[in-house]
Amino acid sequence: MGRDQWKAALRNPVGAVAAGLLVLLAILAIVAPIIWGDAAEETDPAALSQGSTSDHPLGTDALGRDILFRVLVATRYSLGLALLATAICVGAGLILGVLPAVLGRRAGRLVTATVNLAVAFPGLLLALFFAVVFGVGARGAVLAIGLAGAPSFARLVQTNVAAVSGRDFVAAARVAGVARFRLIARHLLPNIGEPLVVNATVLAGGALLAFAGLSFLGLGVQPPAYDWGRLLGEGLDRIYINPAAALAPGVAVVIAGLAFTLLGESIAQVVGVRAVRRRQPPAMPPAAAAAPAGTDAVLAAEDLRVAFPAPGGGWTHPVDGVSLTVRRGETVGVVGESGSGKSLTALAVAQLAPDTAHVTADRLEVAGVAPLGRTGAEVRELLGTKVAMVFQDPMTSFNPSMRIGAQLAEVTRVHERQGRKPALARAVDRLRTVRVPAPERRAHQYPHEFSGGMRQRAMVAMGLMSTPELIIADEPTTALDVTVQRQVLRLLKDVQAETGAAVVLISHDIAVVGQLCERVVVMYAGHVVEELPVGALGAAAHPYTRALLASVPDLATDRERPLATIPGRPPDPADRPEGCAFAPRCEFADDVCRTRPSLAAVGPDQRAACWHPRTQPLDLALDAVTGGQA
Amino acid sequence: MRELSFRGTTVRFGTGRSALTAVDGVDLVVPQGQVVGLVGESGSGKSTLAKAAVGLVPTTGGEIALDGAPLRTRRDRRRLQLVFQDPHASLDPRMSIGESIAEALPGRRGRAARAAEVARLLELVGLDPARARSLPSGLSGGQRQRVALARALAAEPEVVLADEITSALDVSVQGAVLNLVRDLQRQLGLTMLFISHNLSVVRYVSDVIAVMYLGRIVEAGPADEVLSAPKHPYTRTLLDAAPAFGVALDDPVPADDARLDTEAPSPHDPPPGCRFHRRCPIGPLTRPERTICAETDPQPGAADRPHRAACHFATEILEVPAR
Amino acid sequence: MTAPVAAPLAPTRTRVSAWAGNPWAGFLARRLGRLLVSLAVLVTLAFGMIHLIPGDPVRASLGVTAPQDLVDARRAALGLDDPIGVQYLDYLRALFSGDLGVSMSSGVPVSETIGQRLPATASLAVAAFVVVMLVAIPLGLAMAVLTRGGRRRGGELGFTATSAVIAAIPEFLLAVGLVFVFGVSLGWLPVAGRGGASSYVLPVLALALGPALLMARMVRVEALAVLDQDFVRTARAKRLPPLRVYLRHVFPNALTSTLTIGGLLLSSMIVGTVLVENVFAWPGMGMTIVSSILAKDYPVVQGIVLVYGAAVLLVNLVVDVLLAVADPRSTIREG
Repeated sequence: MGRDQWKAALRNPVGAVAAGLLVLLAILAIVAPIIWGDAAEETDPAALSQGSTSDHPLGTDALGRDILFRVLVATRYSLGLALLATAICVGAGLILGVLPAVLGRRAGRLVTATVNLAVAFPGLLLALFFAVVFGVGARGAVLAIGLAGAPSFARLVQTNVAAVSGRDFVAAARVAGVARFRLIARHLLPNIGEPLVVNATVLAGGALLAFAGLSFLGLGVQPPAYDWGRLLGEGLDRIYINPAAALAPGVAVVIAGLAFTLLGESIAQVVGVRAVRRRQPPAMPPAAAAAPAGTDAVLAAEDLRVAFPAPGGGWTHPVDGVSLTVRRGETVGVVGESGSGKSLTALAVAQLAPDTAHVTADRLEVAGVAPLGRTGAEVRELLGTKVAMVFQDPMTSFNPSMRIGAQLAEVTRVHERQGRKPALARAVDRLRTVRVPAPERRAHQYPHEFSGGMRQRAMVAMGLMSTPELIIADEPTTALDVTVQRQVLRLLKDVQAETGAAVVLISHDIAVVGQLCERVVVMYAGHVVEELPVGALGAAAHPYTRALLASVPDLATDRERPLATIPGRPPDPADRPEGCAFAPRCEFADDVCRTRPSLAAVGPDQRAACWHPRTQPLDLALDAVTGGQA
Repeated sequence: MRELSFRGTTVRFGTGRSALTAVDGVDLVVPQGQVVGLVGESGSGKSTLAKAAVGLVPTTGGEIALDGAPLRTRRDRRRLQLVFQDPHASLDPRMSIGESIAEALPGRRGRAARAAEVARLLELVGLDPARARSLPSGLSGGQRQRVALARALAAEPEVVLADEITSALDVSVQGAVLNLVRDLQRQLGLTMLFISHNLSVVRYVSDVIAVMYLGRIVEAGPADEVLSAPKHPYTRTLLDAAPAFGVALDDPVPADDARLDTEAPSPHDPPPGCRFHRRCPIGPLTRPERTICAETDPQPGAADRPHRAACHFATEILEVPAR
Repeated sequence: MTAPVAAPLAPTRTRVSAWAGNPWAGFLARRLGRLLVSLAVLVTLAFGMIHLIPGDPVRASLGVTAPQDLVDARRAALGLDDPIGVQYLDYLRALFSGDLGVSMSSGVPVSETIGQRLPATASLAVAAFVVVMLVAIPLGLAMAVLTRGGRRRGGELGFTATSAVIAAIPEFLLAVGLVFVFGVSLGWLPVAGRGGASSYVLPVLALALGPALLMARMVRVEALAVLDQDFVRTARAKRLPPLRVYLRHVFPNALTSTLTIGGLLLSSMIVGTVLVENVFAWPGMGMTIVSSILAKDYPVVQGIVLVYGAAVLLVNLVVDVLLAVADPRSTIREG
């Protein structure tokens, strides 16, 4: 793995150039003093402090020594000292960084506190301090720069160690009885290696620059020795006579420093996530002119597709031809596993798909608006507050730095040009509607002062600031406890009854959908595989729907029998099988299933996309499906 | 396999006003060869209890014992093994699954013996032994959770603790892992503490069910009895809230009472008296005469009540309608 | 709703302060406590510096040729012959009365030297700081908006590459380059000394350019991260105009996280003045500390290190307070 990443870093043009430069510098560092060492020391009394001449392309210094030779020869000393300082820094930093993990709780905390204190001071200040203590000169400067960088490297090690030791696999190893030092050697260090290597590389560049700085100030290398910083300092005095004397060592420092830094950054880029490139979408047949929607449909989608550019070129279609109709006032549940495309379908319908997504449909009409092909401003204008959204994670779905009341009021302030006060009053009123206790006070609180359930209520209240025609709730209760889940679902039901808005509930939990909805749409691998009334779940025809119902235990499941299982796993959106996507996991699949089935009626109000629809009623604890209330 | 017992186990985090008592004097016995299901909502302290048992968090009071002998040393703790919630996080991404399992094998043994044992364990959890060399990244969530189970079994534990092991899995995979847990338990006679927020999942695998609320066990008893005749109103609320087919949201349950529609209490500042009284369908908010709930902690007399229920009114009949 | 909702807090990170009802008092007390500890460490280190130097600092300062009785007299005058505890107490006492000692070489009180030099350094640092803020925030936010979601790959690449290269050039080399271009080649601006407004241009530019671009990169990265967050999707779901989404939802959240990271950058700028002053012969503390280190004039070095250190701690304090004010989640406020 590691080797591949290095290779990838070198394939990156910036990384390749940086690595090439470093190789060149290394060769120079070895060779230059051997070839030009003597020439660089040679004084030429006839040519003191000269500008550029044919003998001395970069001129000479005050003693008549050739600047070019001196810059080349100084490579070894400059790089060597910088690497030495880096080694000290990395060594001291590693020790300080790993110590808290090795030492006991109290001693570890002391080390951490010390490092935190030292990090507050900039490296140069620490370097100046250590330079005073260790004395002016190359040795002192190496120690000063090495030790000055140690705290921040230690902090880096500490944060990485802390991040990794917080992961479950380290806890698991501890529970399994892995000894402390083996834990560090086998589990901690290998998993923090990458960021540390990256940072040590960048650090080497920093050390080189810092060393040049100290030498430039006269606190580093002392004559007769010289490095680039020293040459720069000497050259600066005569910048009007011979600018090259100052610029040449400066350029050398910058190039060497950049080589280290850029190599580090390009490794970091390879290690990290790379943004997918935004591309021109593939040509699609133009959408047919929208047929006039049935007047009672609040959402009508035909052959909805959402495409993303694939990392290796081409496109993936997480949503691949979904047709969905929701009538006014209806509650429809969309069920599917992760990766089925159910959430993306909802986002695409609401015109909220991510920027990189490309949404097409034969027909798409939402609350009487056909949004495809319109500009963002038009969609905002037309759709306004007609579609309300409730998202999965109430913790992250509110702006943390804005009061809840203001976030609610914003809706009508923008869309109805309401004043601040009436808008806030309405926000308080809506919070009361969703049964948030003490709404006047809560409206002035920030989201972090709300519990998850209350936040989700506030989210529903936000949708109610105007009169929505469609409420899309995307896994609204997945992040909530089961008792709170019931409250939020009941709230959605009440809201639906009072406003007459249609509700689309998206969930992985078919039982939750069954509680709230009239109709269920089952999605698998970007397709709708079945749609049926809730009451007909016991007569589900698609093998996937049936397996989904049978594999989830509920409070009536027979404990003596094994749960039904589905072999294999859902296909990757980038690598879906031809034909029926469920065929590889389906016990009834045969050759016909290599062609994709389309939705066909299998019963009253029930359609399934399957060549072999089941007709047998489900024998899973049927009493549970048909309801034990009777 | 032996009996695991918690006696007055307490875990406290932080100091001063920011202190949080995550586990508060828990008494619980996991009898030999049985599965005890521990159910509770987020913040109830159920995961902390498991972590305390294996020594991942220090306890501040009480003791945890195996067959009556308190667990003190790391060697003792090794006799308990914990399976974590997220199989994507609980396996070292840089170690082959075979290495991860072998690392947990106790004692010294030869290379061949280790390989044979790893192969046996992989087979036991239903994975192809030839995959011992693959890295976790090549496995699906369900397969990884099987590996995590194999690693726990490799340490030859007396007790296995399973902390929400199905909640990070896709629904279609969940069933297979639950089946595996049940098969392993029957095959090996495992003693097990099975933790989940999902009552239906706990019910499927457990012999005994314990219910936790804000750091305390509020009810514990044989699974069938707890589910059919809960003695604590919180258990009743959980049962009523579990979504099930055919049970409409409109069918009112006691906990739907609007008077109870309040914010869940913070574990940093648990309510006085009974911790559940502000959400209790038979508590002071619906029956104002029951001031005792807000004043007196029902925990002390719990051992004498049916199901050791921490409720002053535990003897009141709390029938659950048949489903 | 009669339910007593005493502490309706999310059970995640929120804590009740020890000063019931006023988290500010707790935060300020904790933060000032940390400042005091840091200051104590700083003072101790400054005091200890002279004792950590191997050999006799006075002999080192006066040179090997100085007569022994002069060295002894100077040692006595500096109190170096007293027990170390007594010296420390004397040092603290003097410090509290504003006495930073006397220069070994010139005999001028250190506080007087600092008083003369501080304004030059401070004006340079403040000017550079203002430039960094004025450039970095608009530039970073604009780049984030322009390059969001993989838009304008060319512009993104150009910005990140240019800023990476320039930010990697240390301020003193940038200074040399600026001197060469604008001073030597073009002759537009003065290259040494502190005079009118024009004399500020090059030093401020040298000091601010790198940090400004680095900070702009941070602002961009943070803003892009915020753009990916759920609550921005919520804002889009409310069909708010883009400008409002950016101004009300993205920018405030991006700035708080930028400030967290950017704080260190600002304090390192203060010390960065040392190098820039030496390039431009700027008559500030940076010039003085370097010449004093070279002359082994330890009391002056001690005094200036203290001033730099205190300035850094002050900046950190201000940044933390700003963060606590700006961020209602106030993880900092909570400790």
